Amino acid sequence: MATLEIKDLHVEVTDEENQTAKEILKGVNLTMKTGEIHAIMGPNGTGKSTLSQTIMGQPSYHVTQGDILLNGESIVDMPVDERARKGLFLGMQYPAEIQGVTNAEFLRAAVNARRAKDDQISVMDFLKMLDKNLAILDMSEAMTERYLNEGFSGGEKKRNEILQLLMIQPSFALLDEIDSGLDIDALKVVSKGVNAMRGDNFGSMIITHYQRLLNYIVPDVVHIMMGGRIVKTGDASLAKRLEKEGYAGLRDDLDIDVALVDEN
Amino acid sequence: MDTMQTQTQAATAVQAAAQQHNEPSWLINKRLAALDQMADLPMPLVQRFNYRDWELMPGNLQWADSKRDLAQVADGPVQIVQVGQTTVRVNLPEKLQEQGVVLTDFFTAVKDYPDLVQEAFMTKAMKSNENRLASYHTAYLNAGVFLYVPNNVVISEPIDIQLIQDNTLDQPLNSHVLVVAGRNTEVSVSQHLTTVGENANLANCLMEVIADENSHVTVATLDELGRKTMAYVERRAYAADNASVNWAVGFMNEGNTIGNFDTELNGVGSRADAKVIAITDHDQRMGVNTKITNRGKHTNGNILQRGVILEDSELVYNGIGDIIHGAAGSEAEQENRLLMMSSNAHGNANPILLIDENDVMAGHAASVGQVDEQQLYYLMSRGIRRETAERLVIRGFLGAVLSAIPAKAVRSQLVDIIERKLENGR
Ligand SMILES: Nc1ncnc2c1ncn2[C@@H]1O[C@H](COP(=O)(O)OP(=O)(O)OP(=O)(O)O)[C@@H](O)[C@H]1O
Ligand SMILES: [Mg+2]
Repeated sequence: MATLEIKDLHVEVTDEENQTAKEILKGVNLTMKTGEIHAIMGPNGTGKSTLSQTIMGQPSYHVTQGDILLNGESIVDMPVDERARKGLFLGMQYPAEIQGVTNAEFLRAAVNARRAKDDQISVMDFLKMLDKNLAILDMSEAMTERYLNEGFSGGEKKRNEILQLLMIQPSFALLDEIDSGLDIDALKVVSKGVNAMRGDNFGSMIITHYQRLLNYIVPDVVHIMMGGRIVKTGDASLAKRLEKEGYAGLRDDLDIDVALVDEN
Repeated sequence: MDTMQTQTQAATAVQAAAQQHNEPSWLINKRLAALDQMADLPMPLVQRFNYRDWELMPGNLQWADSKRDLAQVADGPVQIVQVGQTTVRVNLPEKLQEQGVVLTDFFTAVKDYPDLVQEAFMTKAMKSNENRLASYHTAYLNAGVFLYVPNNVVISEPIDIQLIQDNTLDQPLNSHVLVVAGRNTEVSVSQHLTTVGENANLANCLMEVIADENSHVTVATLDELGRKTMAYVERRAYAADNASVNWAVGFMNEGNTIGNFDTELNGVGSRADAKVIAITDHDQRMGVNTKITNRGKHTNGNILQRGVILEDSELVYNGIGDIIHGAAGSEAEQENRLLMMSSNAHGNANPILLIDENDVMAGHAASVGQVDEQQLYYLMSRGIRRETAERLVIRGFLGAVLSAIPAKAVRSQLVDIIERKLENGR
């Protein structure tokens, strides 16, 4: 069993325009174990992507206080690639496009990055694994010969993030709005991909705005984030309640003092 | 010594060497005329690249045999291999010989096919009096290859020209590859330039391609001259009506280098495609002109250059599209992109469009940049190490040109060279 602990995490970004630091996460606490699916919901601009990017190690986000522990070991000083090899995966809200590098070539490099130099995956085994996962996600083989994310539709990019998840088999997947821009069928397919990973050796933090995704990937725990903190934690029913009441209702219920983007 | 006197001495020396070599008088006269006008001609213009202090014209014409075992080249079905001035082998299948195809050492061709050579050598695709290095080349020519494809002959097998500069000796390589493709022909040529030996020498390597009506010529090159070689590489083509010339140049020389790649689209409906990949490293300096001139109506020129600049090196890409008045209905496109891998790298991607005709389509794109950090982050977030991620991004950057190289063998060799350079250059 693996664990991921976020302890009193404070994170700043530097504003490019006026070079001032801005605090985005203001003390996040959260503990996950493999075998669990956690959902994180929260209004726009509240710091959900910041949390996932900080866990992964995006260099623009500076941890000013607190810690992130993977299996008890602090990872805040590790570069992103090392964190990935230790078992973290981030399905990104906006995946990068890379011209001239085929999806297959990239996937193979990613799979091999986690294996020893003298134990690189054989072409046969790689293709077998690839075919199996393409089938789960209802993706054509042609997608793997295209350049990485280049010219992919929004939905294709999301599907491709999940394909990477299935190929890499991390212990923890942080999935940032993996459902945005997906049609109903694609939503089912993507959920099927994540559910295929479910088990004792896999945990996931699913960031979403929509309860609908959680009908397909039923979470064990739901966290509500507002103003850079987790303000409420509950079970799957919390997401349903949120769907009914909205963030304003929930905030007033909980008597939390934060401003929401859509309020004037 | 005054210059007149030096000039006369040089002429005497060239004449003596050429006569000793049993060259016909037309060639000797051509050498002497070139020598005579050398001083008055300008050096080739490479914009934004200063090479004023480069010693590009050592004045000695000597004949020397190279050791044949310096040529470690795998045997190919249609192939000529030269080390220095010495031709190590020529493989030309009987069937092609029967069709009248000629593949031979340049000076043998001068003897055996005087009319063909005299008609084409520095007359159509380029002339000796175009610039000082071209006239130097003619005057001091000491090696070369002649390829002749008679009308209506289609050669499916690529023709492999392997030229090995012999730097175990102390002399420049002034080599001329002359390709004459007759009407309705199809031929693809791959040229590999390499160096053996540790001496510092000049290489002045020219190639002329004369593509007659409706011929289709493809040239893929792997230029791998050594670190101690200062190189001037000029490749020129002349395209007649409906001819096409496709260049893919892997410019991987290790020493200071100037490249001048220039295609004249003279005939109606002729086309040219020029793709260039270069990687520079150490404190190497490289300046490249890639030019297509649209002279005939409805001609189409396309330039695509990509380069990677490592360490303290410098790489300048000039893309030149020259559309002459009267070339109505023509198109000229170009893209020049450079990737700088270190803060000491110098790069310049310079599109030059000279358009003297209204009825044309022309476009250009140019960029000089660094590896995109977002892309690196994305790759690294999958566990890929930084060096590998950088290599993937660079390979991807060069991929647009790489994937367009038709000769598979050349392409995979080029990929290997690129990998090796990236491995070392960090
Ligand atoms: N790299 C950055 N530079 C400057 N500001 C940033 C940066 N990243 C995030 N922010 C700011 O931090 C705040 C939180 O952003 P974040 O993307 O984490 O929100 P989110 O909860 O994921 O929102 P959404 O639901 O819209 O995706 C926003 O105000 C955003 O503008
Ligand atoms: Mg977000």
